[in-house]
Amino acid sequence: MHISEGILSGPVLAAGAVIAIAGTGIGLKKIDYDRIVHVAILSSAFFVASLIHVNIGPSSAHLILNGIVGLLLGFAAVPAILTALLLQSIFFQYGGLTALGVNTVVMAAPAVAVHYLFLPFVGKSPRLSFIMGFLSGMTAILFSAVLLGAALWFTDKNFWETSLIIIMANIPIMVIEGIVTGFCVLFLLKVYPEIIQVKKT
Amino acid sequence: MKPKNRVVLFVILALMTAVPAFAHKVILFAWVEDGMIYTESSFASKRKAKNCPIIVKDDTGRIVHEGKTDEQGNYSFKIPDPIETGLVLTLKAGIGHQAEWKISKDELVLVPSKNNIHNAMQEKEKLEAGPSPLKIISGIAIIFLAALMGKFLFQSKKGLK
Repeated sequence: MHISEGILSGPVLAAGAVIAIAGTGIGLKKIDYDRIVHVAILSSAFFVASLIHVNIGPSSAHLILNGIVGLLLGFAAVPAILTALLLQSIFFQYGGLTALGVNTVVMAAPAVAVHYLFLPFVGKSPRLSFIMGFLSGMTAILFSAVLLGAALWFTDKNFWETSLIIIMANIPIMVIEGIVTGFCVLFLLKVYPEIIQVKKT
Repeated sequence: MKPKNRVVLFVILALMTAVPAFAHKVILFAWVEDGMIYTESSFASKRKAKNCPIIVKDDTGRIVHEGKTDEQGNYSFKIPDPIETGLVLTLKAGIGHQAEWKISKDELVLVPSKNNIHNAMQEKEKLEAGPSPLKIISGIAIIFLAALMGKFLFQSKKGLK
């Protein structure tokens, strides 16, 4: 999912950077003092997740974990993911530094989306919480694949085909991240419910 | 065990599983030998970049050669003739993945010096090295340092108010 250096044109890179900066601004404003450590923990988890490689059949991809990061953090996921991507780019050479803005948008926008789509249903019952966790993990990757296709569309001019290839390559990851996120949500609800901002009804 | 400690343990266990794996770093490596340019393409040495286009341009941006990697991620071709400048090789590894390798004009000689090949091999090893535990730990340390700084800034802002 990391776009390399030299693939995207200037306007796409600039647009990505502007959106990433705006998202980071909103995210930083929304972080509570007490939740700064949570943001750091999840940013670290995202930072190392890409080292966990999954080989199934011909496709090979790595974990991304933007679903769980977004579900738990909301807009604060944007600075968390930006920081992790910056460090991945510097330390592991994953993704180009100039593409940092676009890469952040590709991975953080779906993270923010799943927060608002699925968090309201977490904590109602264990089964529903697991399903919502699963859906968060899965749809975050699906949205990222579509956004990546959209970013590459400006150079490939073949949006549907490119997106479809990316989605197909990431199907195993969608399922695995769904399961991982589902269990994470259940585990956290049991041992550390404060990290999940469940609205009391 | 306290719930918080269990979370920390969980995170540590999750991090430990990450150490030996590799991810999507795209590598194109090329060297010159006996009038030929040999290339090797991979995703950080573990997985070969098969059937991927390789585009060769000169310093002015003119395409001088095009080819495709084989099942082993290898591709070789004769040094284009005549060639006045150095070469830039680009590997297109699909969906947003790309890598470059530059060959300077001095390297484009028919009989390469042993030094050239030695330097190239060293560069290759450096490129293929996986993420070291030190880098992983440094990354996490930087994230937590940034968080601490954030906390400090937050406090001082509150203090001012």
